[in-house]
Amino acid sequence: MLRLIDRQEVIRMARLARLELSEAEVEQYQADLTNFLTSGKKLQKVDVSAVEGTSHAVSITHELRKDEVGSSLPREEVLSAGPETVDGFFKVPRIVEEQE
Amino acid sequence: MRNLAHLLETRQVSSREIVEHYLGEIKQQEPDLNAFITVDDVGALAQADAADMRRSQGNPLSPWDGIPIAVKDNISTKGLKTTCASRFLSNYKPLFDASVVRSLRDAGMPILGKTNLDEFAMGSSTEYSAYGVARNPHDRTRVSGGSSGGSAAAVAAGEAPWSLGTDTGGSIRQPASFCGVVGLKPTYGWVSRYGVVALAPSLDQVGPMARTVEDAAILFSLLAGPDPKDATSADARNFEVPFWDDQFVKDLKIGVPEEFFGEGLHPDVEKAVRRSLRTLEGQGATLVPISLATNDYAIDTYLTLVTAEASSSLARYDGVRYGERVHAADSNTMFSKSRAAGFGPEVKRRIMLGTYVLSASHYEAYYEQAQRVRTLIKLDVLDAFKQVDVIITPTTPTTAFTIGAKRNPLEMYLSDLFTAMANLSGIPALSVPCGTDPKGLPIGLQIMGSHFREELLFKVGYVVERSAAR
Amino acid sequence: MTRYDTVIGLEIHVALLTQSKFLCSCRASFGAPPNSQCCPVCLGLPGTLPLINEKAVEYATKAGLALKCNINHYSRFDRKNYFYPDLPKAFQITQDAFPLCNDGYLEYYVDDQLVRTAITRIHLEEEAGKLIHSGESIVASEYSLVDYNRAGIPLIEIVTAPDIHQPKQARLFLEQLRLLMSYIGVSDTKMEEGSLRCDANISLKPSGSPVLGTKVEIKNLNSFRALEKALEYEEIRQSQVLDSGAKVRQESRTWDDRAGKTVSMRSKGDAPDYRIFPEPDLPPLNLDPVWVELIAASIPELPLERLNRLEGEYGLSRYEATFLVNYPDFGELFLELADSGLDCKTVVNFLMGDYARLAREKGHLDSERIAGLFQILDERLISQTQAKEVLDALFSSPQTAREIVKDKGMEVVGDPERLRPIVHQVLEANPQLVERFKLGETKLHGFFVGQVMRATQGKADPEAVNALLQEELVN
Repeated sequence: MLRLIDRQEVIRMARLARLELSEAEVEQYQADLTNFLTSGKKLQKVDVSAVEGTSHAVSITHELRKDEVGSSLPREEVLSAGPETVDGFFKVPRIVEEQE
Repeated sequence: MRNLAHLLETRQVSSREIVEHYLGEIKQQEPDLNAFITVDDVGALAQADAADMRRSQGNPLSPWDGIPIAVKDNISTKGLKTTCASRFLSNYKPLFDASVVRSLRDAGMPILGKTNLDEFAMGSSTEYSAYGVARNPHDRTRVSGGSSGGSAAAVAAGEAPWSLGTDTGGSIRQPASFCGVVGLKPTYGWVSRYGVVALAPSLDQVGPMARTVEDAAILFSLLAGPDPKDATSADARNFEVPFWDDQFVKDLKIGVPEEFFGEGLHPDVEKAVRRSLRTLEGQGATLVPISLATNDYAIDTYLTLVTAEASSSLARYDGVRYGERVHAADSNTMFSKSRAAGFGPEVKRRIMLGTYVLSASHYEAYYEQAQRVRTLIKLDVLDAFKQVDVIITPTTPTTAFTIGAKRNPLEMYLSDLFTAMANLSGIPALSVPCGTDPKGLPIGLQIMGSHFREELLFKVGYVVERSAAR
Repeated sequence: MTRYDTVIGLEIHVALLTQSKFLCSCRASFGAPPNSQCCPVCLGLPGTLPLINEKAVEYATKAGLALKCNINHYSRFDRKNYFYPDLPKAFQITQDAFPLCNDGYLEYYVDDQLVRTAITRIHLEEEAGKLIHSGESIVASEYSLVDYNRAGIPLIEIVTAPDIHQPKQARLFLEQLRLLMSYIGVSDTKMEEGSLRCDANISLKPSGSPVLGTKVEIKNLNSFRALEKALEYEEIRQSQVLDSGAKVRQESRTWDDRAGKTVSMRSKGDAPDYRIFPEPDLPPLNLDPVWVELIAASIPELPLERLNRLEGEYGLSRYEATFLVNYPDFGELFLELADSGLDCKTVVNFLMGDYARLAREKGHLDSERIAGLFQILDERLISQTQAKEVLDALFSSPQTAREIVKDKGMEVVGDPERLRPIVHQVLEANPQLVERFKLGETKLHGFFVGQVMRATQGKADPEAVNALLQEELVN
């Protein structure tokens, strides 16, 4: 059994991912992350020095879009699924200036 | 399906009758099966009537006009709830159709409803659905597989003639195998992903699920082709349903990778697959023992990439523009609470893993490393196709497992052991039923080919299907 | 400031003037009602995919070429992940590891000295939506409103090397960059509408030291003046911190224009972790070298080139040439008029004089109509004084200068035989003054001229009148 991932690290990830976790979940994911990373250890031993990473499995010609204006959605539709809207805007509670 | 199309064409049966038949099956079986999250009986009947009207006027949209279909619930249907089996999207109705749904509508196919899946397609059993597990029609104590479990179960149970699934690491093939239906994971980029709710965009593909290889090929021919709305489909071409004959098997070189027949493979599964291989050999194909050593890394590579991409793809569910919001005094808390309440445990687990492997101090060791190993896997696979035309393996190591049997997530992840390689390398892979185990549970055989070789896969699949039926 | 060297680097965001957005086909214009220019893609609805606008790539390439950058034929898009209510997908599509352009420079004048600032890179990215806060500031607001019209408009981010050394230089750089962008037509560069934005990094180090000091990032610089003022403020603040023996803290600060100072933005020390990785929904960009050549060929004369030409070929002063470069509409007009054979100095004086005031109010005149005015002046059909009246009329009527003069009966009377009787009348009406003139009071000459002009309602050619008076009075 590998040493558990640091609890603070789990909390930092949850903050980055904007997931509020219960105490039990923190513990659960601490274990899950540890297990996953243990299992993933064998990947680290693979010699990959000769290759670049693959982001696209099939190489594709990038067809760019012509600069033509298409139709936008009617505003009522744009706002229709919004949990909270006012005067044509989406409304969100106070924004705290903090990235982490 | 050609029979059904013929009956429609000769007016021996109406689309309404067909749709009513399937809705009847759904009504009867659903309480127990749970293959659907949403059944759109009103919509399907209206579309059937429109199809019948077109037929009566002699203007059918396609030979399949009026033949209904079921669509996995992570594929956007305009005005019809698309929940991705998540609480977060429990009331979400898309404002647009996915391009593949557009194709179905253009062919005149009524949509019966939206099928069950693991939440956001993360899982191999539909046990991670917020709407309960979709049961296996062959044994209702067992899972239908996943994530396209609902699409597989619906077809196997006769609730739908065919369906759409999505496949990121095996999500079409594994449930197809568990439920005894045919399922294709197409070449990456051959089918548009526009409107398909992303799990891992570099791996996701939509594909057909059907009762026969021919039906799967017909459905694929409706889906395949370039879509100007998907930049990763730009080079795709159209697909023609092949002419079926057994003769071509004679010159076929079939790769049999030893790594897929080793430890962990259930003897019943091995027996059935080997029997099919012998049949193919008997018809003149050459079996070539090959090695795909990099499959040893496939699951870990796959998990690293899929969780990384998923953590980003699912970040948009923040409760601002759509979805379920949990109110809070500030935006950050609102995001965190909404996401915590909207996502189930597996989704959270994958987001946590993905965030970890992408974070600054781990990116190089995990994400970047996995991307490079992906290159090795792709090279390994493409190398194999220099020697052989197709590669045949079991689709899954075992037949359908019982509900609740796999509590450990890592164990669940191993369901994709034989299937993830095709997604990582972008190649097409077809799962075809090749027999049953002593309990009567279906066994699937996987045929892989190099990029854009779907036609070959269908042709081989056709032979496998016929031999299994004998 | 002699104890410390100032080191400034700028990050400039320029909104590109495309018709449609960067990743979808919604209209990209400014000022529409909130959330009226949105579609599933720019709202980040589930399942949507981005599509790169070709024009955005073209404009970014053009900007790169104008800034003498390498254009990378291979570049790639990445996802920059962070949560913010104005960011629909919770990631921004940008270019990180492989930007479209790098290693360029911009040359410009600082106090008659031509200086060069290196451009490290230029990359393409998408704009976020707009937030409107209920209160005075973001933090003081109980809630905020989000408008996604702006979300997905194409931007280029231009990053300079840290080789700007004074706040004024930073301003001059930015002014020159703005001018360059408008010359090549890729942006309307309106700082007040946010289509040109600038963040600055500034650090101080002991004079002559090779080691860079700790840098501070300043945001919210909404005007050229704000940029210069904020940097000046920060120069003093940092030097005071260093003088006191303390260390400058690495942080982001925002410019408070009203208070005239920079304010620390974040209290938490963590650097943001954007988890950037290659965008799987977009293949890499592989530019066709021929296409890049075509764009290069479409680049017009750039501001500095024009400045040099106006000074060198047209003999204008730095002041005049700068005016014409900074106001390219005037510059174009000048070149048309000067190239039609008119005298350069006359033209530039004319353009920078009354014409400038009128043109700013009412828009420009066609060069032919201006040339017509010069023509009748040259023919002495009207006087300089009358020219002003004709110019006014040119701005309010579609007539040519000649037609205006004719209609108003303004032609100058230069014919001595027509003027002589008038001169006689004036002289006969003022016998005493004629006497005094003849006794040596020569300044009365002006009086006689004035009388003749009055009698002719200003139409007499002053030179002809002079000559006649000379003749009549001396004889």
